[in-house]
Amino acid sequence: MASTYGKILKDGLLVENPIFRQVLGICSALAVTNLVVNTLFMGFGVTFATALTAFTVSLLRNYIPVRIRMIVQVVIIACYVMMIDILIKAVAPDIHRFIGPYVGLIITNCIIMGRAEAFASQNKPLPALVDGFANGLGYTAVLVAIAIVREIMGFGTVLGYVLPARDLWWHQWTIMVMPPGAFFMLAILTWIARARLVKEEAK
Amino acid sequence: MNKKSPAYVLSFMAAICLVFGTGISVVNYATQGLLAKNAAMHRNRVLCRAFQLDVAGTSAEAYQQAVDAALRTATVGGRTVYECGAPGREGVGFVAGGMGFWDRIDVVVVLSPDLRNVLNVQVLDQKETPGLGARIEEPWFTDQFKGLSVAWEAPAESRILVGANPAPNAANEVDAITGATQTSMALMRFLNDELAAFRAAYSAAPQPLNPEP
Repeated sequence: MASTYGKILKDGLLVENPIFRQVLGICSALAVTNLVVNTLFMGFGVTFATALTAFTVSLLRNYIPVRIRMIVQVVIIACYVMMIDILIKAVAPDIHRFIGPYVGLIITNCIIMGRAEAFASQNKPLPALVDGFANGLGYTAVLVAIAIVREIMGFGTVLGYVLPARDLWWHQWTIMVMPPGAFFMLAILTWIARARLVKEEAK
Repeated sequence: MNKKSPAYVLSFMAAICLVFGTGISVVNYATQGLLAKNAAMHRNRVLCRAFQLDVAGTSAEAYQQAVDAALRTATVGGRTVYECGAPGREGVGFVAGGMGFWDRIDVVVVLSPDLRNVLNVQVLDQKETPGLGARIEEPWFTDQFKGLSVAWEAPAESRILVGANPAPNAANEVDAITGATQTSMALMRFLNDELAAFRAAYSAAPQPLNPEP
């Protein structure tokens, strides 16, 4: 059983990573990755919503009428996302002011519904929870990797901390904090990750 | 019960909505105090920024103290008016609001005591498109309002101009935001409406608003 969970985790984080493998949730990946702290909150939101939605859908899988299963899934996702939205607003209002519109859009994030439909509705609650968590974590990991590079190159900071003697040796690349910066970074990361995966599969 | 029957489908959906709706209500109720505190802090912080007040720290209490020490409030025509009498920072401010492109926008407008000039405009709340309309919060945009003249002699809809205009006038015109024309136009529209309404109410109110005891 442990190896099953290990495989689910590995799949969500690497082999079937939602961003560079399944190419889901790209909109928010491009939008919130110019500061690491914003990305962490967004990652928390998506991980929380994906894991709990998967768990709930799996728990109710034998009771949900097939014809309205997607409507039920959307209701469940929307409720969890609204809870997350309220919590972020209460705990980190300044971050909420920036990522607020995207938190609402987690409802339409394909990762959550994709996992609910592909995995949770056909598996037991615990593996579904792990799968949702792993996919959320896979999403967060890729976003944080992009955000670290964008924040360093765009602002010369990491999590708001200014790099030592930044003004002496670094000139901020404004383009990295703008949308094109996200496109560049996501493309490079997807390229590297896929090239490695293809190599591993060939072995 | 047959899972395909309309009665089952309806009951299931109603039950799901009830359970999850209750969950949201509980979370909302539990965080109400915190949300109110955050909203008050944000309002005070924007007021401090708008009136350029000195704040000792970044805590909610520091902003509250700065506002309490420097600003006097009065209600004029149903709206709260803030007056600052500190030397060099004299001004009168109010919250102007109106429909933006997506949702309501609220800004704090600070005018000179004679209402001839805008001293500052700071965004209190907006839900415009991030990267486009939401840029009305950025200093490069709001800084343009500092010292802007209000052309009271002009028609009510063009006392402050945002963006290109058939009759350009550097004294009362600021640049619009590229890619966010609708937000810029909405801002111009409600700023002019609110300025007219504010002046009418303020001029009719007995002066001074806050007589010394």
